[in-house]
Amino acid sequence: MQDFFLALPLLLLAAGTLTALAFLRSGWSASRLGWFLSLFPFSSFLLVLYAFTLVPSGKALTFSMPWIPTLGLNFSLYLDGLSALFALLITGIGTLVVIYAGQYFGGDVSAWRFHAYTLLFMLAMLGLVLAGDLITLFLFWEGTSVSSFLLIAYKFKDEAARKGAFKSLFITGGGGIAMLAGFLFVISLSGGADFKTILSSGGILRTSPLYPVFFTLIAFGAFTKSAQFPAHIWLPEAMTAPTPASAFLHSATMVKAGVYLLARLNPALGQTDLWFWTLSIVGLTTMLVGAYLGFKQNDLKPLLAYSTISQLGVLVALIGQDTEIAFKALVIGILAHALYKSALFMSAGIIDHETGTRDIRQLGGLRKQMPLMFGIMGTAALSMAGLPPLFGFLAKETLLASATHPSLPPIVDSLFPLTTVLAGALLLAQAALAVWGVFLGKPANEKHPPHGHDPNFAFWLAPAIPALISLLIGLTPVEPRFLVDFLADAAKAAYGDKVKVSLALWTGINVPLILSMVAVTLGSLLFWQRGRIRLWMTNFLPNFTANALFDGTMSGLDALSRTATRLQGGRLRVYIRIMLMSMIALILLFNGTPAGLSLPQLEWGVDGLNGLRMFSLVMLTASALVSVFVRRDLYAVIALGITGLGVAVWMALEPSPDVALVQLMVDILATVILILSLSLIPRKLRDRANELLHSRRGMARDALLAGLTGLVVAGLTFTALNTRPRESVVSPFYAENAKPLTGAKDIVGAIVVDFRGMDTLMEILVFSLAGLGIYTLLHYATRKGGDHTREEAEQLLKANSPHGIFSLPTSPMLHTLAYIMLPLSFMLGITHMMYGHDQPGDGFTAGVIISLAIAQWYMLFGYYETRRKLAWLNRNNMIAAGLTLAVLNALGGAVFGGGFFSPVDYGKMLGLPLPPGFYLTNSFLFEVSIALSVMGAATLILDNLGHPREEDLEADADLAALEEKP
Amino acid sequence: MNLLTALAIGILFAAGIYQILRRNVIRAAIGLVLLSNAVNLFLFSAGAYNGQSAAYSAAAAQISDPLPQALVLTAIVISMGGFAFVLSLLYVISTRYKTSDSDEVKGLKN
Repeated sequence: MQDFFLALPLLLLAAGTLTALAFLRSGWSASRLGWFLSLFPFSSFLLVLYAFTLVPSGKALTFSMPWIPTLGLNFSLYLDGLSALFALLITGIGTLVVIYAGQYFGGDVSAWRFHAYTLLFMLAMLGLVLAGDLITLFLFWEGTSVSSFLLIAYKFKDEAARKGAFKSLFITGGGGIAMLAGFLFVISLSGGADFKTILSSGGILRTSPLYPVFFTLIAFGAFTKSAQFPAHIWLPEAMTAPTPASAFLHSATMVKAGVYLLARLNPALGQTDLWFWTLSIVGLTTMLVGAYLGFKQNDLKPLLAYSTISQLGVLVALIGQDTEIAFKALVIGILAHALYKSALFMSAGIIDHETGTRDIRQLGGLRKQMPLMFGIMGTAALSMAGLPPLFGFLAKETLLASATHPSLPPIVDSLFPLTTVLAGALLLAQAALAVWGVFLGKPANEKHPPHGHDPNFAFWLAPAIPALISLLIGLTPVEPRFLVDFLADAAKAAYGDKVKVSLALWTGINVPLILSMVAVTLGSLLFWQRGRIRLWMTNFLPNFTANALFDGTMSGLDALSRTATRLQGGRLRVYIRIMLMSMIALILLFNGTPAGLSLPQLEWGVDGLNGLRMFSLVMLTASALVSVFVRRDLYAVIALGITGLGVAVWMALEPSPDVALVQLMVDILATVILILSLSLIPRKLRDRANELLHSRRGMARDALLAGLTGLVVAGLTFTALNTRPRESVVSPFYAENAKPLTGAKDIVGAIVVDFRGMDTLMEILVFSLAGLGIYTLLHYATRKGGDHTREEAEQLLKANSPHGIFSLPTSPMLHTLAYIMLPLSFMLGITHMMYGHDQPGDGFTAGVIISLAIAQWYMLFGYYETRRKLAWLNRNNMIAAGLTLAVLNALGGAVFGGGFFSPVDYGKMLGLPLPPGFYLTNSFLFEVSIALSVMGAATLILDNLGHPREEDLEADADLAALEEKP
Repeated sequence: MNLLTALAIGILFAAGIYQILRRNVIRAAIGLVLLSNAVNLFLFSAGAYNGQSAAYSAAAAQISDPLPQALVLTAIVISMGGFAFVLSLLYVISTRYKTSDSDEVKGLKN
């Protein structure tokens, strides 16, 4: 249970986020809300502190619960010295930031949004450092990217804010994906995602031939997150965030996530040459570039942002080293930087808030107006400059000590101290620049000196606390035991071995102290000559922004997506070609050539049914080819009908009489419908379409593609046919159980209406919907709101189209035939339904047979005549009745038979006298409902396609217009 | 016979594909029907047995595989419904755009 304790800080922050959202319409001012909401991070802070006291020294507290057990994924948490250091910083500074943000937004009642984002971000960040395995860590890692996006783009009406937010999301998100890939390597190599497993399998990981791959991927993720050169460009632009967010994200938390990850994985992945060189080079470069660029800035926030980049470079370089002192410097550096940088950011926010500007060129001389802020910011700046007696001094001393450590390789043993001293000097100059520019010195414009005064208690309290701690740690004569142990614990977790930490400022005169003095002198010189140097830097020295790289990547991606969308140019034929080519490629890739293809297997004998089979094949191939090559579309349609007949013959020879029958009926109906709809399209339009030409090359390409596809299909079919007979898992079950379970001799019929009744129910639903869809399309979509009202149009059409299809007069003999066919079709259909379970034929066949007779009426008498003569034929009611009966019937199975669609013999149940061979079962009722809905939908289709168009009245004008078109 | 059947289905399929790739949308609709015929026949070939008798209980000879038959039965009816819908779309296209050339029909707006 005490392990579950670990999840509580996270749950508290989640609750805090939700609470902030709940204040959506409360009308609470930001400051009131800030005080209230700070309770959540503060109790989180206390909980982490308490949990840490439970951790046995040098060990870890873990919590794990199954998340996706089938994938072996757990949601796990892990608390040791390193995560505790970060967790306390996050919740501690988080508490201050929430209070501070409340003051910053003052009476703003819509700042609940900012509070909610902050708490959400805090949740993600805390989860990141408490995560107990790589997957959980990744989850929270992405959470910080997304929530920081929201914070940076808080002032979303500002374009710079949106751009900055996007840039940070793009860079850190891209790094996150690379990192995930690296994690997957690590997980599969070490055999587990949790840190215990990974940290103990360092040997396997470091010697793996894949080490460079996953190291690069993970380092890429960490470097982008921690703003290492050249991915540092997002951090200055993220300064468009409101200052409380910058103070939190960009001092103590988000940018440290990469540092945390590297420190966390150091015992498993570190201590290799690649690790050392990569981290050192990247870290030192970043340190120098950040310090250098920071010195050029005039705006306080970018100035602080660049110094943060520089500090992050220091931390990364330290992790690269394999010495005890480096990790001592690391933990001290993390703590010192978090303290002074959050104080500085918050002070910058206050100055901006009180005076209305952050530009040091317009500020100056505020010492008297804002004495308190001068004290706070001055203290923090001293710590940043690394001057005694501040904590920052200690951080710089240990850093210099590790930079001059004798274990460094000879090539860089002078480079390390040199860059460190240079960066230290630049940072000192920056700190001085900030304090001088704001509080001392003279404002650039003497006539308009900045106005401001110290803010109220709550506002200055937030930066005062970290500044004060920086001072106290440096000043206390006795080392605070708990802090020393705590830092030693954190360093040990990162180093993998015991680290001795001391917080004494004075360690005697040694190399680091001398170097430190050099740095201070150099920094003072830089500050003294700041005007000249800064001018020179701005005008002549390079800017070191990798924005060109970023912009290049972005425009490259844009170009790529443009190419991708060019493929989707709206030409359906191009899509089809691409799909076909992919299909052919995939099949050829995975399937190879058909099995058992050899010529001796060719049987030319026409004995038995083979003659008939060959006849059907010739019929269907010949007519299919005719439909391709014939010019007029009407002939092509007729050829198509013949193809369908050939298919029906082939099916009958399979032998499968049921399917053959349905195919026959449907083929006829499809042909009728096709002809009907052709008759709707103006003749001129069709003629023009028939004349459409394709380039010779295009035709050849299409023929080649079609031929290849045909070959692939032929190959598949041949393989399937040639491997007959095969073992079937399903079919024998149907064959054996059709009679005993459903009482039907016809196995196919039993499958359709009983075993897979649900399929069939859906199928008639689809068919009915197709009918209704056509009704909607033709009834409404094509109406032209033209010169006539609906009624007028109807009258006109009635008067103008007395004849059948194609408006041609039809013979009286055919009329008589139609009169006879309709009742006959009903008789035939009913017989099919009654005896379908033992013989070929079923509800579909019945429905289509009747529909065909009706189609004949439409063809011969035309729309109005048919509607008048067959007024009883209400297609909508038929569809409704069919579907309702089908569902009720299935439910009847549930009531009387024990399950949805279970077979029930109502005739037997009620003891009705029925003709032999006919059973009043629910299968029969299902057949009836199928027939009803098919009939209804088919009639609906015929009805709508056969309905004369309002447009026909205007067709003459349209055609005239068409003629003029080239 | 198997080879011939396979080739015939292949030709049917190829004819359908070729028609679908025409600019004339009426041809494309015809291609659709050819394709669905070819696919149905192809599904038949997936049947496990060389049938000598229709799939009825207590048949004397080896029955044909009932499962693909049931599937094809459903497929035929559904493709019929879909086909009718395509035809009405075709009509809408030809009246709205005053053309039956699929290359001239771009975008879904007027």
